[in-house]
Amino acid sequence: MTQQTISYGRRAATYWFVDGLPELLFGLMLVVFGGLAILWRVDGPEYWRRFDFAIFFAGIILYGGLERRVLDFLKLRFTYPRTGYVQPPEEEEWRGETMTTLPLRHRPPVRENVTSFHLRTELPIVFVAFLWSSDWQSGWSEIGRWYAPLATLALAMALYALNRKSEHPYRWWSALILALAGLVFLWVDVPGPFRHPLPLLLAGAWLSAQGAYTLIHYLRTNPLPRTAEGVRA
Amino acid sequence: MTDQAQEIAQLDRVIHEPARLTIMLILDGVSEADFLYLQREGGFTQGNLSGHLTKLEDAGYVEIEKKFKGKVPLTLCRLTGEGKAAFAGYSQRMMGVLKGNGSAG
Repeated sequence: MTQQTISYGRRAATYWFVDGLPELLFGLMLVVFGGLAILWRVDGPEYWRRFDFAIFFAGIILYGGLERRVLDFLKLRFTYPRTGYVQPPEEEEWRGETMTTLPLRHRPPVRENVTSFHLRTELPIVFVAFLWSSDWQSGWSEIGRWYAPLATLALAMALYALNRKSEHPYRWWSALILALAGLVFLWVDVPGPFRHPLPLLLAGAWLSAQGAYTLIHYLRTNPLPRTAEGVRA
Repeated sequence: MTDQAQEIAQLDRVIHEPARLTIMLILDGVSEADFLYLQREGGFTQGNLSGHLTKLEDAGYVEIEKKFKGKVPLTLCRLTGEGKAAFAGYSQRMMGVLKGNGSAG
């Protein structure tokens, strides 16, 4: 009986990821703002080009401010009418602050499902962005063309290892694809300044692809329920 | 009447029915869930789930709240304090009966 109860709790905790929307949204943000940063590096005013990472961080800040609202908006239209709404069981609080999850309460408690995505997926990626931002001062990444492959490999390993025992683990072969995608840039030479956004762009594309696949599969297998009169329930 | 038979006779019949036991199990594992989620998780029909929820609500074990988020209606269900206590008591008693019979580890 205890096992069954845990099972329902775990199912509820994984429910946040059932539609792929959190990954899709974060992945798209990485791709869009990583791409904008590259455009800035190409076309921006000469002196300010070195601050291309600031555009990426603006994207992260924007995402942080809008993530919940956008996800709530999307889930209310795509997920809850199809497979219902559930607030998973309360988990251990990570910090003193409240990290909200689902939209029905004013101040919902911390939930492992959402905080796990913030801590285990978003944080390692933001850390790689900090490497990028620190480079214009320290120039530590004089490892040249090894930067993108090594950073992507480290990111893939971190994402796999950190999420391995979470409610939303990544498959090993999926992490391997990300790592191998980074290795391509050992042979494909990219000009120095453009190397830094590469791991973030690859991670963004990787997350978006997973999120999009999950979303399409979810929408196809869960059509909107209809009543006998043909009206949406 | 044996002790075991007495224990079995004292099981909470509101919870003991399989469909209601499933509902209690699901709600015990979450903070709150809406009608559609319960229906899908438990494999219920609308009428069946509605009937069982009404019985659980009448017993004071479940509270049901209808809300709108934007234009989306949500019927939220959650265990009450009384429901949690009753479910814990039921689980304990059932485990005791099964263990006494050597049927549970």
